[in-house]
Amino acid sequence: MSRTRARLAATSAAVVLAVTGMSGAAVADAAPAATAATGSAVVTSSTTFLKDQALNGIVVIPLPTADPAYDSTTGITTTFPVTGGSGDLPAYYGDIDLGGGLLFINLFTGKSATFKQLHFSVGNWQITGVPVGGTSPVALLDPAGDSQVSRANGVQTLTSTDLQVDPAGAQYLDTKLKTSFFKGGQSVGSLAINFTPAS
Amino acid sequence: MRKAIVRLLTSTALALSSAVGIGGAPAVADPWTPAATDIVGVGGHSSAALLNRLSQDYNAFLAGNGDTTSPRLYSWDAVGSSPIVPKSGAAAIARPLGAEAGLRALLNTTSATVDFARVERSPRAYPEDTSANNFVALAKDAVSWAAKGSGHAPANLTSAQLKNIYECTVTNWRQIDPTLPDATIKPRLPFVGSSVRAHFLRTVNQGTDLVPGACVVSRTDQIEDQGTDPWLDDDDVLLPYSVGHYAGQVYRGHASGADAAGPMTIRSINGIAPIDPALGRVSLAFAGTTYGRVVNNVVRRADWDAGDAHAAALKAIFGTQGWICTNAAGAAAIADYGFIPLPKNACGSVSRA
Repeated sequence: MSRTRARLAATSAAVVLAVTGMSGAAVADAAPAATAATGSAVVTSSTTFLKDQALNGIVVIPLPTADPAYDSTTGITTTFPVTGGSGDLPAYYGDIDLGGGLLFINLFTGKSATFKQLHFSVGNWQITGVPVGGTSPVALLDPAGDSQVSRANGVQTLTSTDLQVDPAGAQYLDTKLKTSFFKGGQSVGSLAINFTPAS
Repeated sequence: MRKAIVRLLTSTALALSSAVGIGGAPAVADPWTPAATDIVGVGGHSSAALLNRLSQDYNAFLAGNGDTTSPRLYSWDAVGSSPIVPKSGAAAIARPLGAEAGLRALLNTTSATVDFARVERSPRAYPEDTSANNFVALAKDAVSWAAKGSGHAPANLTSAQLKNIYECTVTNWRQIDPTLPDATIKPRLPFVGSSVRAHFLRTVNQGTDLVPGACVVSRTDQIEDQGTDPWLDDDDVLLPYSVGHYAGQVYRGHASGADAAGPMTIRSINGIAPIDPALGRVSLAFAGTTYGRVVNNVVRRADWDAGDAHAAALKAIFGTQGWICTNAAGAAAIADYGFIPLPKNACGSVSRA
C-alpha cells in the first residue's frame, strides 16, 4: 500500500513537472528549419487517458519547446510549435515539422523513451517522432474521430475529435517501457493543428 | 422481389440500349431511377467508374446482410444522355459533365435530387466551393500528362517546360531537346470545368491558375481522360490526364468503350514516374508531389450535420466510420481502379474552403 502511495506521489510529481515545464530532461531539439512556416499542433490529453496512465505508472512529459498547460475539465493541453515543413493539409501530402519532444516514463519499471524531431506526416496521417539514439521515425499518434480540414487566408487547419495511439507506437512503447499499457487505437484525447506554410 | 425483377429488367434494357449505341442512350453504368431516399451522386469523370464499383459493392453488402431498407448508393456517369432524372420524384436536370458541373448541381438542388458530387480536387477559393459544402476525402490521385505512344513527345517534361508549352513560349520539340523531331507541339486541354484541367493548369504554374496561350486548343466536348478521341491521335499532341483513371484503364482492365487511353501513354514530370507498375496504380512518389490530388465526394454541410436518417446514411457510406473507409472492399475497389487508398481516419475526413 505504501508502495502504491509512493508511486502515485511520483506520478503526481512528474505531472507537475510536466505542467510547469521543468522536467529538466530536455533533449536537443531538431535544428530550426530554414522556412518561415508558423503555427502549432495542440494535443489535448483527456482526463480519462491521464487517469489510466497514472494508474499504470505511465507519465508523458512534453519537452521544450512544447508548452504544456492543465485544465481540470479538459485535461493536459500541450502545444507543439510548428518549426517548418511543406505540408498541405487539404491535399493530404507533405510534412509539418514540430518543435519540442516527448518523454515517456514507466514509474513501475523505471524505463523511459524519449522522442524528438516530431512531425505530422500529412500523407500518412500520423504524428511521428524519432527516438533518442535512433534514426527512424516511429508513428506515435493518429488523428481520428471526426476530422475537419480547412484553408482560409493562407492558414491550414485540422481538428480531430479523437487522437489515437498508433499501433507501431504502442508496440514500441510497450517494448521500451516494459508495459502492456499502450494499445493501437487507444484514445488519447484530441488534436488541433494550424499551419501557415512558408511563403 | 417484384420490384427487384422490374429493376433488373429495366437495367438490362438500359444496358442493351447503351451497348448497341443508340443515340442519346444512357451511360453504361447509369443507375435506373433510384428511390427518393437513396444516396445519389453526379459530377467528375475521373472517379465515375470507381463510384460505380463502390455503389455496386456497397449495395451488394447491404443485400448480403439482408438489409432491404437502408438507402442504396448510386452514381450517374459524367458522360451520357441528357437530361437525367437523378432519383425518383426529382425534376430532370442537365447531366453534370465534370466536377464543377456536379458542384453546381449540388448547389442548385436539394437532397430530393442530388446528394453528392464527385470532385477530384481539394476545396479552393472558387465560387462553387462555399463553406456550405463538405469535401469528404475518398482517395489519392494525381494528374500528369499523356501523349501518343509512338509520337514525338519525350518520356519526361519538367514543370517549367510544361508551363512554357501551355503558355506557348515553347512551341517546337527541338526547344525541349535538340534530338527530338522538328515538329510543332500541339498542347490540348479538356473542357473548362474539368478537374483534370484545373489541377494541371494550377500545378504547372506553382499554385496559380495558368491562362493557356493561344496555341492551346480546348474543345468544349472533349471529355477528360479519354485518349480514344481521334482529335488526340496525333504525334505532337499532349494533354493532362488523371493518373489513377489511366491506371484503371490500362493496368486494371477497366477501359470501356470511349473511356479508354487509346494510343495515349502517360508520362513523367520532373523525372518522377506517375505510375507504380507493380501495383498498377498511382505511384506514391508522384502522389506526394503537388501533382497529387484528393478525390472527394462533396456533400452539403447542412445535410451532413442534420443528425437525421439522411445524415446517417451519408456517413454510413462516406464517413470515417463508413463502409468505404472501414470495409476492406472499399479500399480494394479504390486500389483496383488505380487510385491510392487514404490512411485510416484520413479517409472520410472533411475539408472545407
